[in-house]
Amino acid sequence: MSKVVEITDQNFKEEVLNSDLPTEVDFWAPWCGPCRMVSPIYDKLSEEYDGRFKFCKLNVDENQQTAMKYQIMSIPMQMYFVDGQKINEILGAVPELIIRNMVESIFKDFPTDERGRLRVILNSWIQHNKEYSKKFSRWMQKTDNVEDDAIYHSILQAVQEMEKANDNFSRLLIELQ
Amino acid sequence: MANKNTKECIIIGGGPAGLTAGLYASRAGLKSLLIERGIFGGQIVNSSLVENYPGFPDGISGSELSSLMHQQADKYGLETQNAEVIKVNRGEFYYNVFTTEETFETLSVIITCGSEYRKLTIPGEEKFLGYGVSYCATCDGFLFRDREVAVVGGGDTAITDALELTRHVKKVYVIHRRDQLRASQILQQRAFTEPKLDFIWNTVVEEIKGGKVVKELKLYDLKTENHFSLQVSGLFVAIGLVPNTQYFANVIKLDKTGYIYVDEMMATSTPGIFAAGDIRRNSLRQVAASVGDGATAAMSTFKYVQEVEDKISILNHSHRR
Repeated sequence: MSKVVEITDQNFKEEVLNSDLPTEVDFWAPWCGPCRMVSPIYDKLSEEYDGRFKFCKLNVDENQQTAMKYQIMSIPMQMYFVDGQKINEILGAVPELIIRNMVESIFKDFPTDERGRLRVILNSWIQHNKEYSKKFSRWMQKTDNVEDDAIYHSILQAVQEMEKANDNFSRLLIELQ
Repeated sequence: MANKNTKECIIIGGGPAGLTAGLYASRAGLKSLLIERGIFGGQIVNSSLVENYPGFPDGISGSELSSLMHQQADKYGLETQNAEVIKVNRGEFYYNVFTTEETFETLSVIITCGSEYRKLTIPGEEKFLGYGVSYCATCDGFLFRDREVAVVGGGDTAITDALELTRHVKKVYVIHRRDQLRASQILQQRAFTEPKLDFIWNTVVEEIKGGKVVKELKLYDLKTENHFSLQVSGLFVAIGLVPNTQYFANVIKLDKTGYIYVDEMMATSTPGIFAAGDIRRNSLRQVAASVGDGATAAMSTFKYVQEVEDKISILNHSHRR
């Protein structure tokens, strides 16, 4: 039995944006031929990934508000959401393999187990910090007489502490894996 | 013939011609593989109702018809694979078919890749695909309700699309590079009397602009040599089709528009390679014609494969002696 959830303008937020699982929405319409080619693929995947990945469909004829909000101008349009954010899309009818690869890649980037999610948070935190460290050192190189000013000195110290904390983060991330 | 990548017949393209060729080849006992890069069914998948395919007096949707064809070929053991063929090389008896996934060896090839929409190849066309740029008015027209759109082209398809769009949208501009249409008289008449339809003659689209979605077209009037803009939410491109033959030019003879020359047995200029459906020169471009082509190509292939296998076994015999 297909586990694909029927979505409407009314329950879109609840079922898709507030979903705990990575979620796919297939924007379709009854008059759309190619839509009929992809829906059996999603029926099949919804059983296979039950409890790990959520598959939904939204009839654009009957739910124009959501279709307008996401600027649906061609169907089948398949959008992928994680934590209320749209992260990717597939336009048009495509073979099962392409859909499967999309689902698997989302799994890899957005694990659903607790440890996996913590890994993702730590990792993006570390990357973020590294990026700003780089920006900061580039700024330092271009600026003269920074050491004379007390406020700059304090900032430099804080940055060094932050970098130490970031190294600590990296070590913990390795331990977590 | 023990190798799993060795076939007697490889069919490239899973539309009506390919699926019919696959059905006939499998039923004839050929070890056949059909390779399709997208979804099965080809262009009829876009058709919500096929009304001229015999056997279905009330019509049948293109997607349903193609999945029935697929099922039928499957029933007789046709092997299928999703991949894109990127090269075909000719050996002594075997052809090598290279796909994005792997390489096959086959005694014969049937090319049934059909054609695809011709692109304008202008800036913005790729970027806005699905966000205002469309090649299928019957698929996407409804999503432009109460907005203004443009159609590029002057043939039957362009005018049919434009008329279809008037059912949904506020206004349709037909942009055509000449000062008259190629479309049939009856379509022209309907188009000229349709109040929602306006024509922009002697003009080409140079660029498609917008943010996330299409907002504006940059146009060029070939006669007055003026550049100007048109505010629309969508651009429907209907400037014809191009055959998907770019990967076969090295092994078979194509006409100057890229279609494949075949004889009445669907044989191409190269022994062992056959073609069927929209991809061949002078195709009727109808499902009924394509399935006929597919059946003919498969039976010609069967005959060819038998002859080659006889030759190979004679050669093997004389080698052994």
